[in-house]
Amino acid sequence: MGEMFRQYWIPALLAEELPENDSPPVRVKLLSERLIAFRDSEGRYGLVDEFCAHRGASLWFGRNEGSGLRCPYHGWKYDVTGQCVEVPSEADNSSFCENVKLTAYPLVKVGDILWTHMGDPARRPDLPEFEFAHVPPEQTYTSKRWQQCNWLQAFEGGIDSSHVTFLHSGGLKSDPLFKGAKGNEYNLNDTKPFFEVVESEGGLFVGARRNAEEGNYYWRITPWVMPAFTMVPPRGDHPVHGHFWVPIDDENCWTYSFDYHPVRPLTTAERQAMMDGYGIHSKNIPGTYRPVANMDNDYLIDREAQKRGETYSGVAGIAMQDASLQESMGPIVDRSKERLVPADSGIIKARQRLRKAAIALRDEGVTPPGVDTAHHRVRSAAVVLPAAESFLDSCRDAVKATPGVRHASI
Amino acid sequence: MYASECARAASAEESRYRITVPIAPARNARVIALDARATAVARRLSDGPWANARFYTCENAPGGGPVDAAVLHGLDGAPAMLDDLLRGTDVVVIIATDDSGGTQAAAIGRACGVRAITTAGVVLGDGFEADDAVAALRPYARVLLLSADESDAFELLRALRV
Repeated sequence: MGEMFRQYWIPALLAEELPENDSPPVRVKLLSERLIAFRDSEGRYGLVDEFCAHRGASLWFGRNEGSGLRCPYHGWKYDVTGQCVEVPSEADNSSFCENVKLTAYPLVKVGDILWTHMGDPARRPDLPEFEFAHVPPEQTYTSKRWQQCNWLQAFEGGIDSSHVTFLHSGGLKSDPLFKGAKGNEYNLNDTKPFFEVVESEGGLFVGARRNAEEGNYYWRITPWVMPAFTMVPPRGDHPVHGHFWVPIDDENCWTYSFDYHPVRPLTTAERQAMMDGYGIHSKNIPGTYRPVANMDNDYLIDREAQKRGETYSGVAGIAMQDASLQESMGPIVDRSKERLVPADSGIIKARQRLRKAAIALRDEGVTPPGVDTAHHRVRSAAVVLPAAESFLDSCRDAVKATPGVRHASI
Repeated sequence: MYASECARAASAEESRYRITVPIAPARNARVIALDARATAVARRLSDGPWANARFYTCENAPGGGPVDAAVLHGLDGAPAMLDDLLRGTDVVVIIATDDSGGTQAAAIGRACGVRAITTAGVVLGDGFEADDAVAALRPYARVLLLSADESDAFELLRALRV
């Protein structure tokens, strides 16, 4: 699976983490590799092996200056490609450093995110074209949080629409980024959705169907683009949101959460709500990307709020409601102990597609779905359709990202 | 030393103490194929490692007649009655590959609905040739899996531990 992730551009860190030239380097762990990210004096981004080739000291202590990152131990200096450009202990004209190069990956800013491709440069795909990363900056916001479990059990929450009616029922009524939408009423009035799972070229569309007015269904359509991009169906004119689930190692992942509006700037109130941890975002410990409510403080569970009906599980906030339960399964959940039901068909199908793609890549070198940037141009949708209509036939345009066109939302 | 009860409970170390007991198959699944290609799929599926799943075919009744012993058979050709087939089951998986079984799909779906039996539809096709079957199943099937991949039916049954 790790090799499969290396076929894609994946989020490495937020652009805000390297806010200016020569800003402090940042430790990054991705796909079980310890790396250091930095932005040099010319604004070039680098993502290189965290440890100096000389004695293995961490370059997190490095001096980022003069177009390179210098290990403070003995002064070895590297550029953004990982190439060693100075070894002070060698003679002035020594060619020694030409033979010293740290493992390095490209680091490219698209939207609010710095993306990397950790695979074979000869198979490097085009840069990502997800809509949230391409709308004007005033229309989009991205946050991230550390989640202490395997990426897959976190990701599976992203295509599991049936939990919303229970776990997030409090948020549908009160969260400033969710409340007030007509669709919320359908959600709350029908707690037993029906599901349709349809393959797309890049992954899946999962349609969750609830009763609407007589003869109509309310559909919430969730796209998944392999390997780890999911979108949440929108509500009213609220911004549309989604996630990118990125493995740190087998037992930790980064959850990138984005909100954007395809046709208008986010309001000041919306952006502030996102920064305050509402909607799908989390309120993080200042200076970190660890949520304030985390496993070390029992997620600040509030049983009284639960009794009052403000939250369903006692944990506040959509993001931590999900994360608390996903982390509670353990770092890597033992799926041999699961009892899945037909409503889990999206998860069943996603696991199968991932497994098949990983095997096809390993055995035949087949490029997996989701690498082609055409697969990135998807949207979630929330629509009311006549009972006889197929959600995907009726929503072909709605689930396609079309610049300047409003999203389909109830 | 962990900072909290949740931190300790969610650790890899504590995961080792989850109770391990065999999970008894809870689903007495019935798998019903609605057309010739679906029947071929059901035959291949029936060789799987199932505990309680049973497999049937439901031919297209002339004039959209009732789903009875005239059209409903086990894979060995023995006639079956829908009432008997549904007795004691809690999930019915319907497999279709074209529209010929639309009427039967609706009838089986209705019968399952009345008996509070969860219905899942696996519609195998490409592009999609079974729109009527999908439409017929939609009101009743808790989940509809529309796929070009025959192995989806196997994966669904395996995940449901039938």
